[in-house]
Amino acid sequence: MSNLDGIIDEAKKLSLQITKENEEDRLMTLSVGPQHPGSGHFRFTIKVDGDYIVFVDPDPGYVHRGHEKMCEYRNHFQNIPHLERPVIHDSCNITYSYSLAVEDLVGITVPRRGQFLRALASELNRLSYTLYWLAIYGIFLGHSTMFMWPAGDRELLIDLLERMSGQRITNAYNIPGGARADIPYNFKERCLSQVNYFEKRLNEYDDIFYNNPLLRQRTEGVGILSKEDAIRLGVTGSVLRASGVPFDVRKVEPYDIYDELDFKVQYMKTCDSFARAYVPMLDMRESCHIIRQIIDKMPESGPVREKLQFNIKNPPGETYKRVESGRGALGYHLVGDGSPKPYRVKASVGSFRNLLALPFLLTGSKLGDMPAVYWSLNYWPVEADR
Amino acid sequence: MNTATGFIKALESGSKHIVMKRFTFRYPQEKLKFVGDGYQFDPKKGVGLAGTRGRHILFHDKCTGCQLCAIACEGIAEAITMPKVDEQWKQNKKSIMPQIDYGKCVFCGLCVDACPFYALFMTNDYELASYTKSHLIYTPAQLSVKPKYDGDVEIKIGKRGAHHGR
Repeated sequence: MSNLDGIIDEAKKLSLQITKENEEDRLMTLSVGPQHPGSGHFRFTIKVDGDYIVFVDPDPGYVHRGHEKMCEYRNHFQNIPHLERPVIHDSCNITYSYSLAVEDLVGITVPRRGQFLRALASELNRLSYTLYWLAIYGIFLGHSTMFMWPAGDRELLIDLLERMSGQRITNAYNIPGGARADIPYNFKERCLSQVNYFEKRLNEYDDIFYNNPLLRQRTEGVGILSKEDAIRLGVTGSVLRASGVPFDVRKVEPYDIYDELDFKVQYMKTCDSFARAYVPMLDMRESCHIIRQIIDKMPESGPVREKLQFNIKNPPGETYKRVESGRGALGYHLVGDGSPKPYRVKASVGSFRNLLALPFLLTGSKLGDMPAVYWSLNYWPVEADR
Repeated sequence: MNTATGFIKALESGSKHIVMKRFTFRYPQEKLKFVGDGYQFDPKKGVGLAGTRGRHILFHDKCTGCQLCAIACEGIAEAITMPKVDEQWKQNKKSIMPQIDYGKCVFCGLCVDACPFYALFMTNDYELASYTKSHLIYTPAQLSVKPKYDGDVEIKIGKRGAHHGR
């Protein structure tokens, strides 16, 4: 700078004209997405001043498919396969919330074994979703081993889900009235051995990724979202828990059998990108603990599904039920009008709430911190657009 | 944690995998083993029997042409149509049977849940790729063929980590 000042002083002495730069010219506009793998199906424009981000404009809606409107033309069972499309890695949690809403509206009690099976499927799904997210978080911070390992270990959980439901990702397993199918013979032993092995693998993730000094330097103290701001912006899930708020729908509003299980709500108080990346890791350990308890407490036999008509009639009325998904609270608001098809379905998803924190966190940070902040928000564009 | 120990631990946990077994398997030569014959549904109990949801199998001697599978699919994928067949069955007066377009099918299995006569189940066959879209439309005659599937690889957990073994 001193060199530049010297040049300007010399120019002034020579009475040359130097105009001050226009503020708008200083800023450069960059477009991230929607087809860039670094953003998912989501576009946001950022303005940079040198290396610093001064303005962020998120532009969701690239993969909007109107599935709330689609629900109004189909009955509850037909809704299940297309409701799980937005996040196919977390399909059981999405359909869980919808099933709870339908059961509340119509007045169905689910058999006890069915409740356990649904919770088991949704916990396995939460693990496989979090691993998928972790793989992406790893590769965009330049850690390709962290892409390979979770993507491979996901197979352990997908294998279990395939044995339970029949499909690897779009399970369509949790439906109104209970679980689609009973677990096959010898499933419990298999589930325990694979989940226990998976929990040991998490220690290796700690060694190679979370305790890696390079990752710590890139994420610690980056994108700080204080407790007050997190509550004000209305973020949810791991983002909220990383800001020091121990909020988990499984604990706050227990559904099905979650009030019988013993688990802690994991949270951190450091509020930075590292906390937002590490809270899902703590959640995965807690999920393994929950899965072992479910297998231990599950009734040996019994019905898993309430026998229902294909066209269940909705009584007039409305309901709202939410569950804890991989990305935070996920709820469905359902309005019935006496016909088999819902009058209105409104989804409240965690991704869209977490998007609100994106401009807040990115403004003022360096361009190089963008992937570390953006992917730590646990944001899934397809779910937010719906 | 100290920076040096952090790096050393990271390197150690990575280099340990030199002696671990390979988790992946060579797909076309080796194939995954499945439990059972595929997803089935018991309409009397109203519960499914767990199994892989692959291509369907249609039992011509049980299908009554009631179209419940096509009605169930209407709001999901619209993959099932009911064409006429040249067969005479006592229970099927109209001689219509489901024909499934696998270019549209999402393999949710709700058509199997809808069938009250044990006529439509699913099998382990998932290798349905073809060169043309028209080859993905399976006629009732094609659906009645039982697929041959001989996968024998599944996840095993040993001392050298998880691997796909026989």
